[in-house]
Amino acid sequence: MVQINLPKNSKVQKGNYFKDKTGSKNLRKVNVYRWDPSTGENPRIDTYEVDMDNCPSKVLDVLNKIKNEIDPSIAYRRSCAHGVCGSCAMNMGGKNGLACTTPHSEIDGDIDIYPLPHLKVKKDLIGDLDGLYKQYQSIEPWLKSNSNSETTEIIQSKKDREKLDGAYECIMCACCSTSCPSYWWNGDKYLGPAVLLQAYRWIVDSRDEEREARLKKVADELKLYRCHTILNCTSACPKGLNPAKAIAEIKKMLATANI
Amino acid sequence: MENKEPLSPHIQIYRWHISSLVSISHRITGIINIIAITIICFWASSLLLGENNYEAINSFLNSFIGKFIILGITWSFLFQILSEIRHLIMDLGYGFEIQTTKITGLIVIFGSIIFTVIFYLIGKNFIL
Repeated sequence: MVQINLPKNSKVQKGNYFKDKTGSKNLRKVNVYRWDPSTGENPRIDTYEVDMDNCPSKVLDVLNKIKNEIDPSIAYRRSCAHGVCGSCAMNMGGKNGLACTTPHSEIDGDIDIYPLPHLKVKKDLIGDLDGLYKQYQSIEPWLKSNSNSETTEIIQSKKDREKLDGAYECIMCACCSTSCPSYWWNGDKYLGPAVLLQAYRWIVDSRDEEREARLKKVADELKLYRCHTILNCTSACPKGLNPAKAIAEIKKMLATANI
Repeated sequence: MENKEPLSPHIQIYRWHISSLVSISHRITGIINIIAITIICFWASSLLLGENNYEAINSFLNSFIGKFIILGITWSFLFQILSEIRHLIMDLGYGFEIQTTKITGLIVIFGSIIFTVIFYLIGKNFIL
């Protein structure tokens, strides 16, 4: 169901203001979404004044600086800091991305940081991705081959291998799925761009023998065809992949195949 | 415990870009067009009621509001057609690169406005 407004317990309130204590002249305001599960209060936006003269270039650096120097209570996921693990996916300046690869200089005005959109919030910037992982599991993202290949090598030509380029690089950070309005309104049934890109990755893998069954499985009004090429996913992907095109390719395969 | 967890903000905070704007406009113009076609059908069948009726509707359509509505519907139809062509090309698997989607989106937005002006000028016998 399309629900434009947030539920009552999710309405965002004005939070605390942390004034700069370093006396720096190069300050930027950073607005961060906060929610503490231990209190019964609504989420709030805390504002931090951050000294940009002593801050490295990425949004994750800003968050680390806040956590280390201003407010240690702030919670967010992070791990590799090099755009490989996909932990620090969040919404910055109104667009999803990885905090560790998004330069704060690309954001105009105050730096607004929210969790990934339309997720249940666990704490502060940490969203609940359980639903997405369950959907990922549902497409059975592993190689399925019924022949005697368990003991022998399955040869793949260079050309067949090239088909996986642009699909296997996905790090499942969920930036694309949580940017998609269709996924916001129908996330319980629609698989979303991230999972469909992975479904595509296994459908086009020449070594996989369950291609038809996989196609049949996603050929569903709600699972697949809720994609209306809004293209938020492709513009959000921090790895420069194209989930929208992968979904279009699946639709094309279904339109031309006899299933 | 389950229900206590808030929902993170979505459409309230997500920045619009050309493709999402064209997509939502495509839906809105689609609804407008259905209503417009229905009204046009009623208008056509109301011609059976005679000349007085025709004159009354005609004078309304020639008023400022009437002209505004006609131009609005013209734009709405043109936007829908251009956007639909964009969708057809995408269904064939082309035009998914970010730069291309921006360009085709802009073509839809400005193309619909330009064609509306051209239609208006043709209707006024200024050109052709």
